[in-house]
Amino acid sequence: MVNRMIFENILHRPIRTLVSMLAVAIEVGMVMLVVGMTQGMLHETAKRVQGVGADIMVQPPGASMFFGLTQAPMPVQIGDHLAQVPHVLAVTPVLFLFNAHGGINLIYGVDMPTFKQVSGGFIFLKGGPFQHPYDILVDDWYARANNVKVGSTLNFLNNNFRVAGIVEHGMGARLFIPLSTAQDLTGARDKASIFFVKCTEPGYTHAVMNSMKGMLPKYQLRSIKEYMSLMTSNDLPALNAFITAMITVAVGIGFLVIFLSMYTTITERTREIGILKSLGAGKRYIISVILREAGLLSIIGIITGYVGTWLARKVIVAAFPTLTVELTVHWAIWAGLLAIGGSLLGAFYPAIRAARLDPVDSLAYE
Amino acid sequence: MGSALLETAEGQTRGIDLIGGMEPIIATDNLTKTYRVGKVDVPALRGVDLVVQEGEFLAVVGPSGCGKSTLLHVLGGLARPTGGRVLVDGNNFTLMNDGERTKFRRHKIGFVFQRYNLLPTLTARHNIAIAQHIQGDGFNPHRFESVAEMLGIKDKLDRKPYALSGGEQQRVAIARAVICEPKLLLADEPTGNLDTENSQVVLNMLRILNRDFRQTILMITHNPEAASVADRIVRMRDGRVVSD
Repeated sequence: MVNRMIFENILHRPIRTLVSMLAVAIEVGMVMLVVGMTQGMLHETAKRVQGVGADIMVQPPGASMFFGLTQAPMPVQIGDHLAQVPHVLAVTPVLFLFNAHGGINLIYGVDMPTFKQVSGGFIFLKGGPFQHPYDILVDDWYARANNVKVGSTLNFLNNNFRVAGIVEHGMGARLFIPLSTAQDLTGARDKASIFFVKCTEPGYTHAVMNSMKGMLPKYQLRSIKEYMSLMTSNDLPALNAFITAMITVAVGIGFLVIFLSMYTTITERTREIGILKSLGAGKRYIISVILREAGLLSIIGIITGYVGTWLARKVIVAAFPTLTVELTVHWAIWAGLLAIGGSLLGAFYPAIRAARLDPVDSLAYE
Repeated sequence: MGSALLETAEGQTRGIDLIGGMEPIIATDNLTKTYRVGKVDVPALRGVDLVVQEGEFLAVVGPSGCGKSTLLHVLGGLARPTGGRVLVDGNNFTLMNDGERTKFRRHKIGFVFQRYNLLPTLTARHNIAIAQHIQGDGFNPHRFESVAEMLGIKDKLDRKPYALSGGEQQRVAIARAVICEPKLLLADEPTGNLDTENSQVVLNMLRILNRDFRQTILMITHNPEAASVADRIVRMRDGRVVSD
């Protein structure tokens, strides 16, 4: 019976219902998309690094695990010493270039022969390897997002690059130029930002790392497995704060809209509350009616939010193919719980207020 | 009239006149109710003494502002008395808190209002059924059918209030008030918004409920014709009963 009354009340004010539902849907969508985009970006980056095929990463002291933030290049000669360590199959130096002109891009300066030894080589979908110093390789996602073809000219770091080939995605970066060109552009001759090390067997990773630590005591050595585990928002305080802030804003929107909606409802239905009280409805009954109505509104909003988020993901990925939006059941549940919690909290004060209304005054309410 | 000692919830005793030795369903003694409007105390009831027996049909008449509605609200447990004593079906409202009076009202009191006070989003059927739901004894289809039949609203049950005439709405309101078999039916100007024909229908319904089902009814009215259907008429003026 109460369910019917709540259902009828929701239908009775379609605009109010629509606005409340949309607010909750936006709340759910914001939480899922913000988390999905940040986590997706992190995981996709980590997967790409894993796709290089190395077992160990060697970075100079003070380098960041965020490659775009890494300065302090190392002499490439270190790579020759690392290659001498037992159970090391191959070592390849990479110099990172951070381009912020016309978009934010991380460009790998790669030494093709050793990069091929570590990664097994690029899979060319179109075109082929570098022919000239200012040749560039782009991955298929970048090519699709930017409508790039073999032979196109791209301007990075105030230089024009000719697209020599389009490679399959998942090899560290989306853009690759020759190592020597990258060194010239940054004035870091014979330097590298990182060494990717491939062991003869993955089982030798720790043994190789221990040997390298003895050689390079202050350098940062990480196994790829460790790197993958670190690429979560929990290990990035600023990102975590950003996600928390966005979730707080989203929950705040839901809370305020439901609060306002239910508060208005109480005022509008003062007389009906008086009627329920005259029939013997107690405070708990009134509170339950209000909270259940808010709960139903938020459940409809959550379902709409799920559908909307799924559609938004489709649109985002279609518009920006290089973006990864990772929607997980875990965060869908969290978004739903936050929306329900925010809605119930928002409806709580109006519910208490309704329960405390004087029945005589309520019945006389015009 | 006989006299008996009635023990109150305070453990005190006082003499209250009883008709034929029966315990009255309503007994008030020097009942007062004062409203606070801003910083001013406005006395609405100034010492009402009233005894109503079970099965009686009582009409309370008097000019506007004489305290009739306040009396009805206090007797229905909607308003807390300020002073004196109110016993309804043996329960002392003076000593009961809001929750206890609500619980009592749920099981023992039915209200009929001048403006019908049906829930606008529900059909007539659900307006009636919600009273059973609030009472907590669940839906009783047999009782529901017989009440709807008696009040002549069986073919109107699936309509919402806006699709019913005033008389039909009031009959639905009466059905809602009596569906849980209350000990006391309180009617506040039940014909105040109705034309003569519908007024007569509603008064007949109340008369039948009283006569055939021994439903105790206390009805407030301005209308002498409406009051005349009652067994007993009580007149109020300035917050007091002036004739009985």
